[in-house]
Amino acid sequence: MPMQRPERTAMLADPLAEPRGKDGRAPDVFRPGGWVPMRQYRESEPVDFLIVGTGAGGGTLACRLAEAGFSVVGLDAGPWFRPLDDFASDEAEQSKLYWTDDRISTGANPLQLGSNNSGKAVGGSTVHFAMVSLRFRPEWFRARTLLGYGADWPIDWREMWSYYAEVEQALKIAGPISYPWGPKRPRYPYRAHELNAAALALAEGCEKLGVAWSETPLATLSAPRGLAHPCVYRGFCVTGCSTNAKQSALVTWIPHAVAAGAELRDLSMAGRIEVDAAGRAVGVHYFREDAWHFQQARNVVVAGYAIETPRLLLNSTTDRYPDGLANSSGLVGRYLTVQANQAAWGLSKREIRSYKGPPSLALTEHWNYDDRKDFFGGYCYMSQGPLPQLWANTLATARGLWGAPLMEAMENYNHQVGLKIVGEMMPQANNRVTLADDKDQYGLPIARVEYAWCDNDRRLIDHALDFMTQALQAIDASDIWQQTDDTCHINGTARMGIDPRTSVVDADCRSWDIPNLWICDGSVFPTVGGVNPSLTIQAIACRTANRIRALAARGELERRAHV
Amino acid sequence: MTASRQALQSMLDQLDALQIEADRCAATVRAARRLNRGSALLAASVLMDSAVEHYRGNFTNRAMYTPLLISVLTLAISAHGTTDRRPASHRVRHGIAVAAAATGLAGTAFHIRNVLKRPGRLDWQNLFYGAPVGAPMAILLAGLLGSAAEWVRDTPNHMPPRLFGIPAGRALAALSGLGLLCTSGEAALLHFRGAFHNRAMFAPVTLPPIGAALLLNAAVAPKCRERWLTRVWLQLIMLMGLTGVGFHAWGIHRAMGGWRNWSQNVVDGPPLPAPPSFTGLALAGLAALGLLRDHEDA
Repeated sequence: MPMQRPERTAMLADPLAEPRGKDGRAPDVFRPGGWVPMRQYRESEPVDFLIVGTGAGGGTLACRLAEAGFSVVGLDAGPWFRPLDDFASDEAEQSKLYWTDDRISTGANPLQLGSNNSGKAVGGSTVHFAMVSLRFRPEWFRARTLLGYGADWPIDWREMWSYYAEVEQALKIAGPISYPWGPKRPRYPYRAHELNAAALALAEGCEKLGVAWSETPLATLSAPRGLAHPCVYRGFCVTGCSTNAKQSALVTWIPHAVAAGAELRDLSMAGRIEVDAAGRAVGVHYFREDAWHFQQARNVVVAGYAIETPRLLLNSTTDRYPDGLANSSGLVGRYLTVQANQAAWGLSKREIRSYKGPPSLALTEHWNYDDRKDFFGGYCYMSQGPLPQLWANTLATARGLWGAPLMEAMENYNHQVGLKIVGEMMPQANNRVTLADDKDQYGLPIARVEYAWCDNDRRLIDHALDFMTQALQAIDASDIWQQTDDTCHINGTARMGIDPRTSVVDADCRSWDIPNLWICDGSVFPTVGGVNPSLTIQAIACRTANRIRALAARGELERRAHV
Repeated sequence: MTASRQALQSMLDQLDALQIEADRCAATVRAARRLNRGSALLAASVLMDSAVEHYRGNFTNRAMYTPLLISVLTLAISAHGTTDRRPASHRVRHGIAVAAAATGLAGTAFHIRNVLKRPGRLDWQNLFYGAPVGAPMAILLAGLLGSAAEWVRDTPNHMPPRLFGIPAGRALAALSGLGLLCTSGEAALLHFRGAFHNRAMFAPVTLPPIGAALLLNAAVAPKCRERWLTRVWLQLIMLMGLTGVGFHAWGIHRAMGGWRNWSQNVVDGPPLPAPPSFTGLALAGLAALGLLRDHEDA
């Protein structure tokens, strides 16, 4: 009979039930059951920066601001996991990583919210992202001027190029020696991973169709790094990496932030930003351990991603700001822009076992850089590796199989090969996040998310599905079918710009209306491009941190300089 | 009196000559046995490395058993040669050594074919993760060292040992120098794949090329009795090859599960048997230096 070990049970206490980041310590993500010391701030003591959300935007910013010597407190509604202890090789168990609180999803093409576009954990959705770390095409930063659609960013691509390099170093991105598209970039810090059969199938299809392909730059280690192990190709990447090979915010920015003196509070749901009579943010009300708390701050940063960010701003109305904070333009919640995520699937005669290794080891960005097409924007497509439950789900819902046909189709799982896009959808003002009358478990009005595709979105999707089908035909795949309705990543509900009338924040992610209120996540994207957004979100966060340092040095943090 | 002294002197001279002959003979045998040892180390490295790597590749092609078989045979002939003090070549030994060298050439061709048929052809991905193009070189070198051992051993008493018509010491110095260079190239490729994440990974890409340069210099430079720097450097490389095993063991420990998960990590982690290739080649280099010293004209 194995002995019951009480200390082990205590060590594995449910991170969803009780906060771990308190009493001057934080969980050590690199050691089973381990702890590291963490600085603690009093709620009555205004900290320099109070950051709501600790994902790609908030986690990165917390790290860089703490390193710059600011006092930083971060709040996250989700738990603080230790991947080595808390992550199972089980899709159902790992759905604990998603934000599945009540929301209303509506419109002509309602979004499926959950695994593909949200996270509820310290580290945000980077805890379960696919690790695809791509740079924008330079022209996208001036999409309106150079390409004729969407809006221009207020940031020059050359500046972004250096921040991209900074993030790639920080995450030890494993990427190809030479990348076939776009301007020259520095060598990726780590080498690309070995391609699995699914990736080789993509490569073969591209070669047959005469377009370039590449190993995908991925935020998972191809060699040891500190206490993190190199990738073991377990394949459970998008359900949470249990080996710490994945360079999520949880194991990169956040441990550095804590070491640099930031305090992060898990299971802390922000409900309302408090603004004083002078129109300045003074702190945030948040719910933790069955009680509402108030943390004072000299600056508030909202980094809750493109649904929770506008929701918090809209939920923080005052007499002075009856339409919500930072919303004089009326654009908070508008221009919600997701990415198309359609796929073509087929059967290969060879065994593929696509679930081996990271799911998106190879890609082609050909249609991001080739403008001979009948739609605006672009897309990349990547090799796929759906886990069995997700795959059965896809067959049941997207292909309509059930019963015996579904069982038969699942028997071909090892031969399944697929290609899936990340495609640029057009920003539209009517795709938006508003507040519903219903309340969530915290008593806060829930988000209502409206989405409809435009003609350009449909043309892009048709083009992509047609091209990927050709690519599968070129490698003699059989039983090819198209998954026509899926989206991923959410951006754009607090867009940045150069004009307070047509944007919510400036290039520094500072709101036009309230000088000490900042927004730092995918919400600030004016356009989304045809690549996964995480690298760009982190690059923007690094830039924001640098700008904040520069502004603080000039004494302009307190008051916006007149221009 | 003078006559008898002269007779005595000539007898002594003859004895001296005999002694020198014997020394020379012993020197060639000594060099041959050193070469046998170098060949054995390389063969052992090939045996274990190809066993692990070809097991990892599921022995999908039956030819993948060849290096295992041939390296076992090479180990056997090297053991035989090492214990054999006779100054004469051995037909079976020599035959197997030649076969090992041929296996190395054929293996290189197989590996190149594997790389070229993968999408991307001769790109970094395939050089990193396809069949390692440089690896069969080790069994080629083991075979060449084994053959050289037979040739050197077979040298008639009054002749300086020669290989391919070149004085054997120089030929061997060149061969082991080039071998060190190639092996270092392979380490460079694979350590680049590992992004040189540990500074120790630079050792096998810096020490051996310098050793190779010293050996190539010895191969072409005018005679010189003391090559203490080359000798010390080669001993350093020998040591590096052995400590490399320790570093690779550490690398296995750094993978998920460490040594507790040895059955996966020994296969997928840094190859334990690879670094001693350097020791084998350094040993061959020392044998070459020995020949150069013992046979001034070699």
